[in-house]
Amino acid sequence: MLLHVVNRSPANSRVFEQALTAMGPDDVLLLIEDGVQGALPQLVRYYAQIEGRLFALREDLGARGLLGRCAESVQVVDVDGFVTLTEEAERTVSWY
Amino acid sequence: MRYAILLMGAPYSHQASHSALRFARALVARGHCLEAVFFYHDGVHNASRLAAPPQDEPHLVDAWADLSREHGVSLQVCIAAALRRGLLDEREAARHGKEGNSVAAPFELTGLGQLIDLGTRCDRLVTFGP
Repeated sequence: MLLHVVNRSPANSRVFEQALTAMGPDDVLLLIEDGVQGALPQLVRYYAQIEGRLFALREDLGARGLLGRCAESVQVVDVDGFVTLTEEAERTVSWY
Repeated sequence: MRYAILLMGAPYSHQASHSALRFARALVARGHCLEAVFFYHDGVHNASRLAAPPQDEPHLVDAWADLSREHGVSLQVCIAAALRRGLLDEREAARHGKEGNSVAAPFELTGLGQLIDLGTRCDRLVTFGP
């Protein structure tokens, strides 16, 4: 299992498409920085194919006033959760 | 676990430095060993000892130095990326005939080979891009 990390909003960048193309069936994806916008109900459709494997970083949601506004399918983790994901994943791949 | 961080975003231009620092602190708080932070591309500006941000803003350069002192984290700066951006330590400044220098311990100028070494030696390498 690999952890993919995306820091761009799908509204401004199409790098998420490359991440999705590269993802294996067990891989998970964490949204950080401006990437957390992808967790919003109006943008989460871009990640429909990995439903249940999509995470968003709590601190970056909070910094943008977006806590509590995520789609229900997104799992919100704090920075300790980010560390845990890197422990569990064989490798971490960052997309930016 | 043994971790290394690769940081490629410039301080105060992108969130990358703040994200990397927050992740680094979380790592050591959980008892992991953070072997090194490798500063590459515009990330080398994190090593500028002349940085003087307003006092009510996070001082990234000092924060990295504190992390290094408190947890033995090696701060490695790509020498090729640093020199072309005007980041020189005392030795390189002398070698290139420049007055003054902008990189000091605990930051150290190293080669890209060190990054490869970290990648093979550490259990995890996490990249923070611009």
